[in-house]
This record gives sequence, structure tokens and C-alpha cells, in this order.
Amino acid sequence: MDLRFTPEQEKFRAEVRAWLGANLERPWSQEVRDPKHDASSLVEVRRAWQKKLLAAGFLGMGWPREWGGRGATAIEEAIFTEELYRADAPQVPNFLGISLLCPALIHHGTEEQRRRFIPKILDCSEIWCQGFSEPGSGSDLASLRARAEPDGEHFRIYGQKVWTTFGPWADWIFVLARTDMEDRYGGITFFLMPIAQKGVEMRGIRQITGESEFGEVFFDGGLARREHIVGKIGEGWKVAMTLLGYERGGSTLAYPAEYDRYLGGLADGLRENGTLARADVREKLARLVVENEVMRGNGMRNLANIASGNAPGAESSIEKIFWSEYAKRLTDTALDLLGPQAQLRDTQPQARPDVNWAYEFLWSRAGTIYSGSSEIQRNIIAKRVLRMPTK
Amino acid sequence: MQFALDEDRALLARSTRELLEKEAPLATNRQIMESEPSGYSKALFRQLGELGYPSLLLSEDEGGLGPIAFAAVLQEMGRVALPGPFLDLALAIKLLAGSSEDAAKKWLARASAGEALVVLARGESLASGDPSAASARFTNGRVQGLKRFVPFGAEADAWIVETSSGLALVERPTSGWNAKALPTIDHAQRFAELVLDTPGVLLCDAAAARGVLDDVDRLGALGASALLLGLSERALEITVAYTMERQAFGVPIASFQALQHRAADMLLQTESTRAAVYRAAFAAEHQPEQAAYLIAVAKAWAGPAARLVCGEAVQMHGGVGFTWEYDPHVYLKRVKTLEQFYGSTRAQLDRVLHARGW
Repeated sequence: MDLRFTPEQEKFRAEVRAWLGANLERPWSQEVRDPKHDASSLVEVRRAWQKKLLAAGFLGMGWPREWGGRGATAIEEAIFTEELYRADAPQVPNFLGISLLCPALIHHGTEEQRRRFIPKILDCSEIWCQGFSEPGSGSDLASLRARAEPDGEHFRIYGQKVWTTFGPWADWIFVLARTDMEDRYGGITFFLMPIAQKGVEMRGIRQITGESEFGEVFFDGGLARREHIVGKIGEGWKVAMTLLGYERGGSTLAYPAEYDRYLGGLADGLRENGTLARADVREKLARLVVENEVMRGNGMRNLANIASGNAPGAESSIEKIFWSEYAKRLTDTALDLLGPQAQLRDTQPQARPDVNWAYEFLWSRAGTIYSGSSEIQRNIIAKRVLRMPTK
Repeated sequence: MQFALDEDRALLARSTRELLEKEAPLATNRQIMESEPSGYSKALFRQLGELGYPSLLLSEDEGGLGPIAFAAVLQEMGRVALPGPFLDLALAIKLLAGSSEDAAKKWLARASAGEALVVLARGESLASGDPSAASARFTNGRVQGLKRFVPFGAEADAWIVETSSGLALVERPTSGWNAKALPTIDHAQRFAELVLDTPGVLLCDAAAARGVLDDVDRLGALGASALLLGLSERALEITVAYTMERQAFGVPIASFQALQHRAADMLLQTESTRAAVYRAAFAAEHQPEQAAYLIAVAKAWAGPAARLVCGEAVQMHGGVGFTWEYDPHVYLKRVKTLEQFYGSTRAQLDRVLHARGW
């Protein structure tokens, strides 16, 4: 047992931290409260940030060198992401392209596809979104009904996708659609499609935060070219499962780092309000500190297991339940303890100066729903770890 | 980074499990809890002494294996809800090993060999498992005062008594003391109320005692957390096994999603306890600057987590979960003691905030 980082890993962390100190102009929570910004100009801030990360060699660090990687270990990737969250850096706009599509292309794509798409994903000249969920197919993704009809050697797509994260700013979409309406898994194919074309319409969906960070896409005969199918026809489910396996890696230490920053902001607020000495307040704050530190311990254990060559299993379900449900408890408690100031919109000068509590409170409601709801994660644990039977 | 135990410690954990499964399975332990007047098997404790278990907590230089091995062994003892003063004895040995008094050396040798039971006598209040300033006195070579919730206090051969003047070693005398049982709901741990007016030897003064006790308190919290991990782990196992066997509406009740989700939460709590306990044990052995904080985190987590897990074990067994015959209540009761002693949850939460400067 050794839960320490090696001197080399600590050196890497110091380098990342120094780079962030020199290159991050201001934390994201300060950026978003600048009145000069609107939703689109904030995307441009994120695009500029992604270009900086690319230039510094920090994108796709774990990929093969050929595709811009540096052969970074899982631990280095986790350290890097942890430092990004600790510093409150902007999220790159092309996170879906980088974390989901690129691994799928590296594993299942053709050489031509890799050359055509990966460079533009990395330099953010083409932003990607994901077309998986449908109004009738969420947790039960394989029940999806979007269909691909042959048109010469190409396909025309019909149907609707929804909860399309970052869709309103995306240039391209990777889509799961049926090339066979009967075969539940083998009838699904993985298509890459430009959004700006006849027969594809993207509409923003207004969320409980007021913003339209996700959207819905209507397909009415949009063209999907044969050379833009990833994997073979009918292999879409397999490709999708590969990339979803990538979805929860690397960020295992990131959430505890972010929540630790929030806890610092909460303690500062309580001290300013003169309530930090109250026994009831202290107990609530301390429980949140304990839970976050336990989450970090889970993350270190997962990371150590990945570093020892074990494939992540049910740990990712535990991790997902833990961070997403914790975010609700943390923000619930913060709004309770900090009072109405914490409900002020972050653009108000009277708002808390550090954490955007009101936004985080609302945004935390999404975490237990997206990317496999808490209920789905519990099903996974019961079936795959505890081996409890299906009826 | 590596989470798994190294070879020596993994071997120790395996052989401890084999030993306890053979000598102290829960069924045997339950008989001892109910029929043995002392509340534990002295024969087993002698055996553990011969094998070197009681001094495991000492550093490798002192003949032990250190905190990680200690946690691994206590996890195994938690799994079978082992009755007896193992943790209390280990803490007393750790304290005696730090003293240069002749009396301490004599009792250290006997306690390490499993020939004598030495325990700490600290608390005085009925309202808290966390000792506050002692009002027991040490004057003119005599210890006088009242001590409560002394673990296996009536069975011990010697007590290390916290007094206002420091820590005093008291050999069980033939007269000048009185013990009353303070039976809690826990079957695995006996407590006594001691009234003492007896000769004793001062091991250290009050100022030195604070440092010594801080150290012992940390290790006690770590040990209790490891016991809580073992209890949670086993309570989850027997509960899932029960739901696989028990049929309702023609199917095993394990197939019901309501129970699956409860079991998933039990696993989440238990696995999180595992990560927290071993992270704390690793810090206790290798990262002293983080040990106080991470042990407080582990204990503050492990108690409520184990209570949830063992409470769910009772619930998911249904009616039989409320019977004396079935095992879940033994686990739940044990958890309650471990939660309130060895640094209560509330005391650990204070330590956590203190460590953060809040």
C-alpha cells in the first residue's frame, strides 16, 4: 500500500500549477459574473482557453503521441484535471469531442476519419455534441428509434435527439441511429454529421438555470455520409459503449478539489456572517468536509487501482452517485446556512464574491440525472457487484 | 500509488480471517456473549497473545507491525463481532510501551503476551463517551475517584487511570475498589463503573499525559473505524445472502429493486469506509502531518456509515431481523458502542474543523 504521489508526479503537479498561475487570467466564477459577457462570448473565452491548453500540450495527454498525446499516465491525467478544478479554470467547449469522440475515433475510426476530425476537435474549430438520448430513450438508450434510411451509398436520418449538451454551439454531432429497426443492439450505427445542413434543426432548451446549455435536434432527412460512419454498419452500440467507458475516467480527484474550494467559500461566508462558531452550523460544515474528504479517498483508491492495471468497474458507479448526490447536499446546506445572499444571481454586486451558489444549487439537480441517473447507477451496483438477480 | 496491502500484511489479514473463522465464528461468539461471565474468551485472547497480536500496533522497531496491519486485523475482528477487549488492550500496550517506569515495563510484558489485561480508565460522565478533564485524583501514591464506562474494567488486571495529576497505573488490588457493571446494548463489549481508593504509580504528569493520550486517542479512533469497516462489510454480506434465499411472490426478494437500491447504498457506504480507513491508516504510518485529520475523517464517516448499513441489515431481514435469533442486531448494537466511544462522531467532527482552521 502506498497512497503517496511519486516525486515525479509531484513535480508534474507543480509544473501544472505554475502553468495555470501564469496562463489562467481569472477564475471561471469571476468570468461569468462580468457584465460584459453573454452566453456566446463566454463560449469564446472557453474556446481561447482550449487553444491555450492545446498549445501547451495538455489536451488528450493519455492518447498515442501520433494524435497529440504525450503518453501520460492515468495518475498524471487525474492530477492535471484536479489542478484545473482547483484553479477554477473554464471547461473547454469541445469536452465531448475530446473525451468521447476522439477515443472512439482512435479505437474504431478509419485513418481518414482521424486525420479529418481530430485536429479540428483539438483546435476547437469544430465543436461537437452528442446525439444519443431521445425523448423516449434515456436510461434505456438501446430502445432508441431515430432511423437511418439508405440514400444511394449514404444515409438520411429521421427522428429526434434531446438533452444535447452544448448543442446550441456545436458544428457537428455524433449520432446513434437505426439501420435496422428490429435488432436491438446490432441495428444501431454510429454516424458523424454536420449540423448546418437541410434536414437538421437544433433548438436550445431553456434549463432551470435559465440558460440553454443543452438543446434538442430534429432530423428530417439530414445527410449522413457513408465515409462518416464510425465502425461498421450495425456496430454503433459497441462503439458507443467504448466511448462511454471513457466518460468517467480522469476526473476522479477533480470533484473533491472543486468542492473543497466551495467549502472554503462556505467557511469564509460563515465567518463573515458571524455564524461559524455556532454548534449547529459547525456540525453541518464538518459533515460536508468529512464527506468530501471521503470522496477524495475513494478517488485515490480508484486511481491507485487504475494505476495498478485494474480496469475500473463498479467504482465509477459509486463515484458518480457520491459526487452528484454530495453536490446537492453541499449546495442545499450552503444556501441554508448562508441565507438569501447565496440566492442572489452571480452578476449582482451583493452576491457572495467567490462561489456562484445559486447557480451551483440549481446545476446540482442535473448531476443525479445525466450520464446514468442515480437510480441506474444503483441498478448497476446491485447487479454487477452484489450479483442480485433480475426478476 | 497502490491501495492493496503489501504481501506481509495481506498474509496477516488472510491468516487472521482463517483463525477467527475457525476459533471465533459469530455463532461461537454469540454463545460467549450470552454465557461467559467475563464476556469474552480468555483462551482465545491467550492464543492471540502467543501469536503476537496484542502488540501489533507498536512500530516495527518495537516488535509490532504498525497501524496498517493493525487496521487489517481489526477489520477481521469486526467481521465476526469478536467480543472482548482487543482494541482496549492494544491501546494500553501502546501507552505502556512509551513509558520508562518499571511498573509499565512489567505490565507491558505480561499484556503483550496475552497473560494480563490492562485497560485505560478515563471517562467519568454518563452523558458522554468522550473523557473530559479528570476529577479523579492522585495524591500520596493513591488513586481516588470514580471512573465510568471502563472497558472490561471489572475483568482487568490493571488499569491506567487518568487523574488530574496525570496517568496512574493501578494494579487490581484485593480491596479498596469496587466495580459495578454498566451493561450497554452491545453484547461484545462490557463496561464497568469503578470506584477506586487504591495505591498506584504515576506514569506521567498531566502535561505529558495530554500528548500520550492524543496519540492513543488517534489510534483508538483508527482501530474503531477498522472494526466498523468489518462490521459493515459482513452485515452487507449476510444481508445480500439472506435476500437471495428468502422468497416472496415466488421470487427471491433480492430481485426487488427497492431492496437492490438499499443494498447498493450499503455497498457505497462500506466501500467508502474502506477507502477512508486505509487512507487514515496509511497516514498514521507514513504521513504523520496528515494523520490526525484523516483519522478524524475516517471515524466521523465510519460510525454513521456503519449505523446506516447495519440498520438496513435489520430492515432488509424483515421480521426475523427484529428477532434475537438472527444476527443483524448484534452488528447494529456493536456499531452503536464504537460510534460513541474511541472519539465520538461529534468529537471527531470538531477535530476535522479544527484541523482545517475553521
